[in-house]
Amino acid sequence: MEHYSVKDLMVPISEYATVPMGTTLLDAINVLEHAQEAYTISKYQHRAILVLDENRNVVGKIGQLRVLKAIETRPDLDSELEELKSFNFSPEYMAHIQELHRLRGPIMRKEDLKNAAAKKVEEFMQKPTPGEFVSEDASIDTAIHQLVAGTHLSLLVTRNGQIVGILRIADVFAAVYHEMKKHDIAPQNG
Amino acid sequence: MKELKKLYDRIVQQVNINLRELDFDVRPFVENLIDPEKMTKFYAFYGITPDHPLDLEFSHSGLAGSYFLGKCKVTNSLLYKSDIRGDELKREGSTFTFQNFSIPLTTDEVIDIRDSALIKTLVHNYSHDPETAERFFIRSTLAMQFANIHGSPMDGCFLGPFATVDLTTAHDSVIGRYSYIQAGEVHHLRIKPGTIWVNSPNNFNFYYRYKPEALQPYVHMEDGQPSGLLFDFIEEHQGAFQRVFNMVNLDVIDTIPASASLDRYAVILPKTTIAENVLVSQRAYLQNSALGKGANAQENCYIINSTLAGFDVTAHGAKLIEADLEENVFVGFNSFVRGTAESRVCIGQRCIIMPHTIIDIDEPLEIPPGHLVWGLIKNARDLQENSVSLTELTKIEKSFTRGRMHFEGNGAQFVKAFQDRIQHILEVNGAFYDEEHNNAGHAQKNQNLSLNTIQPFRFGEMEGLYPNMIIKL
Repeated sequence: MEHYSVKDLMVPISEYATVPMGTTLLDAINVLEHAQEAYTISKYQHRAILVLDENRNVVGKIGQLRVLKAIETRPDLDSELEELKSFNFSPEYMAHIQELHRLRGPIMRKEDLKNAAAKKVEEFMQKPTPGEFVSEDASIDTAIHQLVAGTHLSLLVTRNGQIVGILRIADVFAAVYHEMKKHDIAPQNG
Repeated sequence: MKELKKLYDRIVQQVNINLRELDFDVRPFVENLIDPEKMTKFYAFYGITPDHPLDLEFSHSGLAGSYFLGKCKVTNSLLYKSDIRGDELKREGSTFTFQNFSIPLTTDEVIDIRDSALIKTLVHNYSHDPETAERFFIRSTLAMQFANIHGSPMDGCFLGPFATVDLTTAHDSVIGRYSYIQAGEVHHLRIKPGTIWVNSPNNFNFYYRYKPEALQPYVHMEDGQPSGLLFDFIEEHQGAFQRVFNMVNLDVIDTIPASASLDRYAVILPKTTIAENVLVSQRAYLQNSALGKGANAQENCYIINSTLAGFDVTAHGAKLIEADLEENVFVGFNSFVRGTAESRVCIGQRCIIMPHTIIDIDEPLEIPPGHLVWGLIKNARDLQENSVSLTELTKIEKSFTRGRMHFEGNGAQFVKAFQDRIQHILEVNGAFYDEEHNNAGHAQKNQNLSLNTIQPFRFGEMEGLYPNMIIKL
């Protein structure tokens, strides 16, 4: 994998769907939808949107999971679960409490969807953490390590401190698969 | 006076340094917490008894109105009307058992208070931390009114008013007002007001938090001052303590049985009756109540127009007004149980009222025997949501949720832990004393107690602080 570098596989930021801070959830989904439609003429399929600040720096990312979380979120449940986390309750118990809350009411109610649609992207975007940045000159090996260690779905690619692209797990996976096939490394029987 | 101000500023800064990672600033709470004039006005006092070591060391500290018993060391600290009760400290030659460890004690355990300010705070019991079995330390800690530090070494903590830390070593943590924590050891935790948390890892975990708006009328902060119904209640009854603190010798009340103990700094108003083996601690307030055999009223308790059938525990700071307790009822720390003359609270035998429970009713309420009760109860419907029978709880093996209460773990272990502890409290308080079995507890031993007073500098740079002194046998 050494002859690949991050910049060979990244999606340039110019090709990515972006929204400014202050955009509502509904508008952000519209931007994503338009980007998906444009897939027919672009080689990149979009599953996420980047959030930019007033200087066009990337300050967050919104994937499909984040959108669902924003719709599903109930402030009372969220704060309760957040509290319980600090008080040594097990993941099983937390899941149990979540389930209890689910049973109390459906998510797909018109009123709840309407409230969620008005949320601002900064309320539910995923803010990048230090382990999510990778230099465009870094090797794919380095990027694979970062994706695995941080369980990230993508990394933000930098050049001189500026974000110039996104390295997606799907593209890295495809490159790994391609490499395996190329070297014919299937185990021998017997 | 200058030195007192410097010392206070130093303590506040020290606590803030410890809490910087939580981004918590104690300054808004401390503006009027220490009144320099009162630090000069009140004497401190200590107990002398053949049953406990007399080993006190005070250095560069203010001690106004505070009480000391046993082996205590206070350095660079300000204590105001606090009780430092060393009568349950571990003794030289004994063995402290923790999990699979047996730790022999080579010296008497000491309560070691340093760089701290404690306001109307109770310090009691012994260190439950095996890492510091001979030293129950309280360092760089600020505790507000009616906090309880019970068997809990503290380092860099802030306790809001009516907060209790019980059998827990706490480091760099904030315990919000009216919160009760019993969790073994905590680090860098910021506990919101009104949190009740009892955690024994791998055994059980109990958690409840008051709705902020429900707790608000009882305890809240207003312009940096603690306020609310609980403070108003104490304020209303404050006057009665003036007499007991002003008099050097009070008349002995001759209707007290020989096996019962009534602290000379408790207030007893007519028509109160006290049966055998009853313990009434200092700063307790009894009025028109009956305490049956082996019942106890611990520090800062108020028992008014109430009856306790016997072997009932009213833990530190608990308040009972217009209540009737059957036998073996436990009312936890700082609980507030208030009925009215027309609507009394009746608590069945073997009930456990969790620490920091508020029962405040204007319709009669009957709590059936053998129930665990928690949280805020204003009527029978609240009781349904905030109680469970001990029989039902004992059957829980995984988890249980009711209202705002969360429980995970083994219910039988939780019930047993409480029941064992209640039994232990009754034993050490002398509730089961009889001459034949030589099983005297605090109720009997406290009768051998006399008190000495000590005074602060009243003028000059050191005004409000006490001379450095060592008081030993």
